[in-house]
Amino acid sequence: MTPGDPLQAEDDRNEARRRFVLDDRGFDEVPKKYRRFYRRWEGPGDALAPNEALCPVCKIVVRSTRELRVGDRLYCMACMTRLVIVSGDGGRLEAQVVY
Amino acid sequence: MAQPLEVHQLAPEAFLEEVHSFAFWFDSVRDYLDGLEHGRSPHTPEAVLTPLERDRLVTVLCNYCIGETAALEGAGGLIQIAPNRQAKVFLATQTVDEGRHLEVLTQRLRELGVADAEAEIARRGSRSLQEFHRRLLELVRGRDWVAALFAQNVVLECMEFAVFGLHARTADPRTRELLAGIVKDERRHMGFGENELGRRLRDAPYARERLRAVRSELDALVLRSFEETLDAIGTPRSERAQPGRHYLDAVARLGFA
Repeated sequence: MTPGDPLQAEDDRNEARRRFVLDDRGFDEVPKKYRRFYRRWEGPGDALAPNEALCPVCKIVVRSTRELRVGDRLYCMACMTRLVIVSGDGGRLEAQVVY
Repeated sequence: MAQPLEVHQLAPEAFLEEVHSFAFWFDSVRDYLDGLEHGRSPHTPEAVLTPLERDRLVTVLCNYCIGETAALEGAGGLIQIAPNRQAKVFLATQTVDEGRHLEVLTQRLRELGVADAEAEIARRGSRSLQEFHRRLLELVRGRDWVAALFAQNVVLECMEFAVFGLHARTADPRTRELLAGIVKDERRHMGFGENELGRRLRDAPYARERLRAVRSELDALVLRSFEETLDAIGTPRSERAQPGRHYLDAVARLGFA
């Protein structure tokens, strides 16, 4: 976390945001210490949890320890992409690439 | 580095430093490569292939070898002209990945009874892909960083990522296993290309015109060669658009819709 991180400040103001304990879901393309932050998309029967977003570049599910909100920053370490959460079609949250 | 409480709280600069590092690459690949021989488990059985299936598979693998040779030579050459340390270190790891891919694919050709892999690759290889290989090396030798990176890490890597993934779904067990391992590496390569170019275009938008010209020249070569590959692996018409769509999504994000 960086000093004065606006994401953390927003988080502090909003106590209702849910927290999640992440487990290792077997995604083996990043070092062990980062694995719990990622999982594979399992196809049509799969669904994203409130703390998850699909990386638009490599289609890996990126996971956070907190419920996602618009403006949140995520990193896909599998394809080295920085993402930001935006409100997509129908208000559904989705990840957008930030170069 | 110490394990962060939440990886997404890393500063952007710290994230880039971490994912471009040799240590990150090494810790990523060692677990999924550990215990494999030539990209697969030594216990994976060989499938019984008909002569026609075997012949088609050999042709497909020969074309994959041309793509991987282009990527190996391209990545190695790009190290010299990469504009920063992070990109140079990443390309060094990519060069190793590409060397591994070429080796495991060549070994698979030997398992399928190909005695002289180099001669077979030259004989069966797609002319379009061979032309792409030649043009990629020209761009590298011309020290044209944005054009060469686009050709290799966006055009070629996006298509390989999609086609290898598609092929892995229906391939025989040994081929499927080695393709699945290659796709894990390709995810890093195409992500590196798109993100590096995205940052370059953000800071130097005039490079966009150069990339537009390169794209119009190289698109047809790669698309034609992969269309030939999709024919050979028997991809149904309904799934043909997928590899192209993956690539088109990437170029759209870069602003080339």
